Amino acid sequence: MSALIQLNNVTKNYRRGKEGIAIFDGLNLTIEKGDFVAIMGPSGSGKTTLLNLLGGTDRCDGGQIIFDGERIDGYSEGQLAAWRARSVGFIFQFYNLMPVLTAAQNVELPLMLTKLPARKRRDNVETALKIVELSDRAKHKPKELSGGQQQRVAIARAIVSDPKLLLADEPTGDLDRNTANDILRTLQQLNRELGKTIIMVTHDPEAARFANRTLHLDKGTFAEVTA
Amino acid sequence: MTDFDLVRKNLFRKPLRTILLTVSIFMAFLIFGMLTSLNVALNRASESGSSAERLVVSNKINFTQPLPIAYVNRIAAIPGVTGVTHSSWFGAFYQDQRNSRFVGFAVDPATYMTLYANDIRLTDAERKAFIAERTGVIVGKSIADQYGWKVGQTVPISSNIYVKPDGRRSWDMKITGIFTGAKPTDSTAALYFHYDYLNETNTFGRDQIGNVAVRTASSDLNTQVAKAIDAAFANSPYETSTVDEKTFAQAFLKQAGDLNFIVTMVVAAAFAAILMIVSTTLVSAMRERTKEIGVMKTLGFSSPRVLRMVLGEALLLSTMGAVLGLAVSAFILAGLSKSPAASTFGDLSMAPIVALSGLLLAITLGLVTGAIPAASALRMSIVDALNRR
Amino acid sequence: MSLMSQTRSVIAMNVRSIPQRLWMSVATVVSIALVVAVLLGFLSLANGFNQTLKGSGAPDVAIVLREGSEAELNSTLSREQVDLLGRGPGVKVGADGRPIVSGELFLVVDGIKKSSRTKANMPLRGVGANGLLVRKQAKISQGRMFAPGSNEIVVGAGLLREFEGFELGKSVRFGAQTWRVVGVFEAPGTVFESELWADAPVVQSLFKRGTSFQTARVVLTSPGALPAFEAYAKSEPRLQLKAQSELDYYAAQAERSGLLIRYFGWPLGIIMAIGALAGALNTMYASVSSRAAEIATLRVIGFSGFSAFMGTMVEAMVLSAIGALLGVAICALGFNGLSASTLGAGFTQVAFRVQIGPEIIGQAVTLALLIGLVGGIFPGWRAARQKPLLALAA
Repeated sequence: MSALIQLNNVTKNYRRGKEGIAIFDGLNLTIEKGDFVAIMGPSGSGKTTLLNLLGGTDRCDGGQIIFDGERIDGYSEGQLAAWRARSVGFIFQFYNLMPVLTAAQNVELPLMLTKLPARKRRDNVETALKIVELSDRAKHKPKELSGGQQQRVAIARAIVSDPKLLLADEPTGDLDRNTANDILRTLQQLNRELGKTIIMVTHDPEAARFANRTLHLDKGTFAEVTA
Repeated sequence: MTDFDLVRKNLFRKPLRTILLTVSIFMAFLIFGMLTSLNVALNRASESGSSAERLVVSNKINFTQPLPIAYVNRIAAIPGVTGVTHSSWFGAFYQDQRNSRFVGFAVDPATYMTLYANDIRLTDAERKAFIAERTGVIVGKSIADQYGWKVGQTVPISSNIYVKPDGRRSWDMKITGIFTGAKPTDSTAALYFHYDYLNETNTFGRDQIGNVAVRTASSDLNTQVAKAIDAAFANSPYETSTVDEKTFAQAFLKQAGDLNFIVTMVVAAAFAAILMIVSTTLVSAMRERTKEIGVMKTLGFSSPRVLRMVLGEALLLSTMGAVLGLAVSAFILAGLSKSPAASTFGDLSMAPIVALSGLLLAITLGLVTGAIPAASALRMSIVDALNRR
Repeated sequence: MSLMSQTRSVIAMNVRSIPQRLWMSVATVVSIALVVAVLLGFLSLANGFNQTLKGSGAPDVAIVLREGSEAELNSTLSREQVDLLGRGPGVKVGADGRPIVSGELFLVVDGIKKSSRTKANMPLRGVGANGLLVRKQAKISQGRMFAPGSNEIVVGAGLLREFEGFELGKSVRFGAQTWRVVGVFEAPGTVFESELWADAPVVQSLFKRGTSFQTARVVLTSPGALPAFEAYAKSEPRLQLKAQSELDYYAAQAERSGLLIRYFGWPLGIIMAIGALAGALNTMYASVSSRAAEIATLRVIGFSGFSAFMGTMVEAMVLSAIGALLGVAICALGFNGLSASTLGAGFTQVAFRVQIGPEIIGQAVTLALLIGLVGGIFPGWRAARQKPLLALAA
C-alpha cells in the first residue's frame, strides 16, 4: 500500500483578536490508499480543522500536505477548487443538500464541474443512486426525504464523480442508531468494494468501530487507538 | 442540468418573494418605458416637418409679432436663398373653440407647396386645384377623418384672431385636397389655405405675415444666410431673427417646461427605490443561502463561477422585470397611438432606442443589485460559511 | 393577559425587531418616501401654478375681451370702446372723479429663460395710469413707476427671477427699440408678477397699434355690480364685448392648465406605489418568517392570532408613516417655494412657486399609509395563522 495523504510538519494557527493560538504545531500523518480512518477527539481538538486542511477548504500556515504524490498546500484557490472537484467527495453532518434541487439533481451537482456529456452524467447519477439504494427517490426534493435518505443522497453526491478520497464530518451525528449503522455500512461497503479512501470525523465510538483504524486527536496531536 | 438551471431554480426558491421583486422592477420599467417614449414622441412631434435645411425668419421681438409681406421678396433676393415662402398663424378652429382647435396657417400656396412638398403630401391634381382655388384649403388626413370631410366640400373655418368686416370670424373654405405627412408617424392635425383670401377679407394686420421660411442652396450656407437676412433688416422697425427650423421647434418645446428634467427625475426616483428594494432583498436572500454557497465551493465550484451564478440570478430577475415592463408599456403605447391622443403627440409607439436603453438599464440594474451579494459570495470562506447554522 | 396588553407587547416586539432587517426596512421606508416625494412634487407644482392663477383675479374687477377671444393676446378693443366701458353701470369712480378703467395692450416679446437658456415668451403689458389701481395686489418694490410717454418699463418680481437681464437700471431691446428698467413691482402669488409693464400709448406707437387696445379692466363698485355691467358690455351696440369677473377668468384658466400636471402625477404616483408596495410586502413577509419561531412560542403560551396580526400590521404602518414623513420632508425642503415657470394660457411664461399645501400632503400621506396597510394585511394574516407547534419544530 502507498500513501494517499501525507501531512509533514503541518502548523495551523487560529487567529483570535491579535494573538494567534496554535491548533497544530508540527502535525504528521500518513493515510494509505484504500484505508478507512476514523478520527475522534473532544470538541476543540482540531478535528474539523484537520478535515478542512485535508479537503483543501482551509490552508495550513506551515509544513507540507501531499496528496497522491503532489503537494497541494501551495495550490491557488482556483487550483484547490478544481482539485476538490476531481479528487474529494464530501459528506456533512447536516447533509447540506440544495433544497431547490431534486435528489438526482443534487447528485448531479459535482458533475457540472466535469466535461461529461449529458447522457454519461445521467448514467453516473443513476449508478450513484443505485449504490446508495435510492433510485426510487430520484425525483424527490430533500424536504420530502428522511434524514437517513438525505444522507444517502449526500453520499451519492460524494461518489458520483469517482473521487479517490471521501471526507465525512460527523456523518451520523444527526441520525438515530439504526439509520446511522445503515449509513456506516454503506461507507464501509464503499471502502471495501470500490476502494475509496475514507476519513471520517466522529465523536461516536460506535461509528468509529466501522473504520479500519481510529486516530485520537487531542490538543493537536495524534494518539492511535487500535480498534 | 446547467448553471442557468441552477440560477433559475435558486431565483424561484421563494416564488412569492421573486414575484414581488419582479412587480417592483416591472413598475419601474413601465414608468421608464412610458415616460421616455412620451418624451421622445414630444421631441419628434416638435420636429416633424421641421428640418435643419430650412430657415425660419421671424420678428426679432417674438415670433408672434408680424413681419411686412414685402420682406418675402427682399429675402428672396439675398444670395444663397433658393426658395422663400411665408405663413401666418390663423388660430383655426371648427365649431367649438376649445375642442376642435387645430394648427392652421394662411400661406402662399404655390411657394409653400414647393418648399414643403415632402412634408405635405398631396397628389399633383390636388396641389394644382389648391393653388388655383382662391378659397381652397388643404386639410390633414386626421382632421378629415375626424369630421368626415371630403374633397370638394366647403367648410366654415373660424379664427380666434382675425375678424371679417362684417364682424364674423369664420371663413368658408373649399377643401381641395387631403394631405398626409412624410412619415405615417407625423401628426396631420393641420390645415393650410390662401393668404390672399385672408388678406382681402381681414380687418386688421393687412399685408402682414407671421413667419418666412427660407430654403438655402446648401445647409452649409445656413449660418451665413441667416446672418445676411438679419443684417438686411437691422435697425428697421421690423428686425428679424433667423434660425433653422429644428432650433426654432426645440426652443418652442422648451417653453412648456423642462420635460427632460422632469422625466429624468421621476425615472431616477423610481429606480432609486427599486435599487434599494431589490438589492436589500437579494442581500437578505443570499444570506439565507450562505451555507449552500459554502457547500458549492466545497464541492469544487470556483469562486468566480459562484460569483457568476449570483450575478446571473440578479440579472435574470432584473431582465425579467424589465422585459415585462417594457413589453407592457410598448403595448399601452401602441394602444395610445391609435387613440385621439395621437393627434397631439403623433406616434407614441416605443422607439427601438427606448427598448434598447431599457435593456441596458436592466443589465446595469442587475449588475448593481447583484454586486453586494456576489462580492460577499466571492469573498466568503468555506470554513466560515459552513460553520454558520 | 387582556387582548389589549397582549397586542401591545407583540407590537413592541415587532417594532424592536426592525433593526434585524434594518436594510430591507430602510429600503421600504425610502421607496415609500420616494413615492410620496414624486406625487407631492407633481401635486405641488400643479398647486403652485393653480394658486397663482386663482390669486390673480379680483371679484370686483371685470376683464373685457372681444367676443370669442379666450385670451388677452387674441383680443382687440378700440379707444372708443374702452371709453364707453367707463360709462357702464356700476363702474367705480376714482379720486379724480373719473371711472377706474384700464385699457391695456398685451404683447409677447422674447426673453432668455434662466433655467433653459433658451428664448421664451414674456408678456409685455401696456398699461395706463390706472394700471396699479385695477390691481390692488401690485406695488412698486424697487425703483419707481415708468414715466408716461417714456421708453421705460417696470418688471414683475417673478419675471425677474425667471429671465435674464431685467435687473433695475438695465437697458433691454425689443426689436429696434431700447427700454430702460426703472422699477420692480411685486404682486405676490399672481400672474402679473411674470409681466413687463410699460406705458400704453408708448407701446401703441412703438408696436404700431394706432390707438387700439386689447383688453380693458374695469373696477366695479362691488362684485354684485357685475351682471349689469356684463349685460351692458354685451348689448350696447358699439361694444358687443364679453365682460367677466377677473376671478372667473383666471379660475377657468387654472382649471384647464392645472389638470395636465395633476393627471401626470397621479398615475405615476400610483405605479410607483405599487412597486413600493411589492417591496413592503417582501419586507413584511421576511419579518414574519424571521420571527416564525417567536410567534409560534407566543401562540403556545396563549397569545392570540389577532395580536400576531396586529404586531405585523403596526410594524408595516410604522415603516410607511416614517416613509411618508420623509417624503413630505424631501418635498418641503427640496421643492417647496422653488421658482418655476411654464407656458400659461396667455401663450406666455407664468412664473410661480412650487407650493405644498395641507390638502395635497394629505393625499400623498394617504397613499403612503395605504401602502403600509396593504403591505401589512397579507403578511399579518400569515403571522396570525402561524401554527403554534409547526413553527417550533422548524
